Amino acid sequence: MSMIEICDSSQIIEGEITKITVDGIPPIAVSRYEGGIFVFPDTCPHADESLSEGWVEDGRIICGVHFAEFEFETGEVHNRPIGCPNLTFFKCEDRNGKVFAILNEEKTDV
Amino acid sequence: MCDNNSCGSARPNMKPVYPKADKYPEFAKLVDEEKSQVDRRVFTDEEVYQAELKQIFARAWLFLAHDSQIPNPGDFIRTSMGEDDIIVVRQRDKSVGAFINSCPHRGNRVCHVDSGKKSRGFICNYHGWSFGIDGGLRGTDGGVYDKDETFEKSEIGLPPVAQVQSYKGLIFGAFDPEAPSLEEFLGDFTFYLDIMLDNDQGGTEFIGGAIKSEISCNWKFPAENFVGDILHASWTHQSGAQAILGGGVDLGKRYDELAFQASIYGHGIESNLDKVGNTRTLGYPDLVDYVFDLSEKAKDRLGEVRARAIGAVSSSNVFPNFSFLPGQNTFRVWHPRGPDKIELVVWTIVNKNAPDHIKEQYRKGVMMTFSPGGVFEMDDGENWEYSTKVNEGYMTRQQPLHYALGVGTLDEERDLPGIVHKGSKNEANQRLFYSRWAEFMKYDNWDDLQNSKVTLPQNKKQQWSD
Repeated sequence: MSMIEICDSSQIIEGEITKITVDGIPPIAVSRYEGGIFVFPDTCPHADESLSEGWVEDGRIICGVHFAEFEFETGEVHNRPIGCPNLTFFKCEDRNGKVFAILNEEKTDV
Repeated sequence: MCDNNSCGSARPNMKPVYPKADKYPEFAKLVDEEKSQVDRRVFTDEEVYQAELKQIFARAWLFLAHDSQIPNPGDFIRTSMGEDDIIVVRQRDKSVGAFINSCPHRGNRVCHVDSGKKSRGFICNYHGWSFGIDGGLRGTDGGVYDKDETFEKSEIGLPPVAQVQSYKGLIFGAFDPEAPSLEEFLGDFTFYLDIMLDNDQGGTEFIGGAIKSEISCNWKFPAENFVGDILHASWTHQSGAQAILGGGVDLGKRYDELAFQASIYGHGIESNLDKVGNTRTLGYPDLVDYVFDLSEKAKDRLGEVRARAIGAVSSSNVFPNFSFLPGQNTFRVWHPRGPDKIELVVWTIVNKNAPDHIKEQYRKGVMMTFSPGGVFEMDDGENWEYSTKVNEGYMTRQQPLHYALGVGTLDEERDLPGIVHKGSKNEANQRLFYSRWAEFMKYDNWDDLQNSKVTLPQNKKQQWSD
């Protein structure tokens, strides 16, 4: 799958999680942490809940339902409900103010 | 309920339920205002008790927390309104929410701890139903309900306490959506609350956590004691006072001129206005100096009379079950736990601007006097327990109780708000407390409740509403 444009980078605010809907694929979420842009599935890895209804705290994405905490960069889960795996991030880049991501490929090279 | 396809066509209605009050004229008659006596069934009868939970605790404004206990979003404490378990939590917009601590799925408690900081929400242990700090259902254990198209998350939540309001740092809640505002409920009694809440420009805070205990007594014995029973002090507390003060309880040389009881809507205060009589019992000379100084400075804020009341021999109760002692700086709630049991929660209040060593002396002083191991609380607890327990005797509980001290001492001249009586050794406030109790039994609406016998005389109302 090639990179597709998902939003303007100005839409992505430090410490906030924004839900993005792209036709034909499950909803995705974007956030900015220490300047870097992160793109990940909006549906949490545990249940059918929206991560954009959660929040960011101390370098972690907090799911607003069962309070699982996912580290930016690694996606490692903390304080998880039983059966909740790590979060995966999509490869993404900022090209002149437009954010592009490969939505079927995990960001494994970090 | 049934489970074939023709049933279950209507979805569950999960709106919170706030039942209307009723009328219990036969229970109201247990308070005999003509003869100044009270029938002991008010302390023992299970049906009367259940009527109290419905008529009083499901309607009146009840104390929940002090602002200082939950300063930041997500900060919460668990408390009670009557026997209902309540979570009080600071919202992200800094307002305060209060919710019944019971999952709308199977009713399990969703919060088990007494208090916490920066809570993200509350998750039920049973099936993982998860609630935000706004009480709303965020999700369940995962997967199952999301596939059920009839499941509407947005309509489900922890049932909210219908109204939450605060007065100078004290947060109250009312289950009744039709209850008048908190300030209307308190009426001119705020004049007396300000003795504790507004004697210094910096406001107040609770310090040092809460002390909890259980006493095997009816909740009204402590409430009526604090509303206006200084009479017991010179007998019940005589030995404790001698140990701390080196002498008995003394209401001062200017008693006849200064001491009074005042009552409005069943809330009451008694004071001898001797400046430091209560503070002295905490046993720290520094505190006495602090209050003398504070009293002098507070004249501008509060006027002469209330400046004298800050540390005076005095006690107070906000109807139904929220009490405080000026001078000793303790606030407390007597939560009912059946007709013959209470859970007592005690806090220490101080002025935010007070020096640290003064705050610490108040904290220790309250522990040494008005905690389960405190000199004075031990005295009281035993009396209230036996006042309750003896009524297990069938013949005993047929016998009336005498509440007639100070009949005919109404003071219509005194320049103070409320229904004022001469002398603090009086049972006037107790009679008015039970009159209010009877009104809550008798009336099913707030219009009658707020225009009843225990309200202010019309001329005074005008005078003090300016």
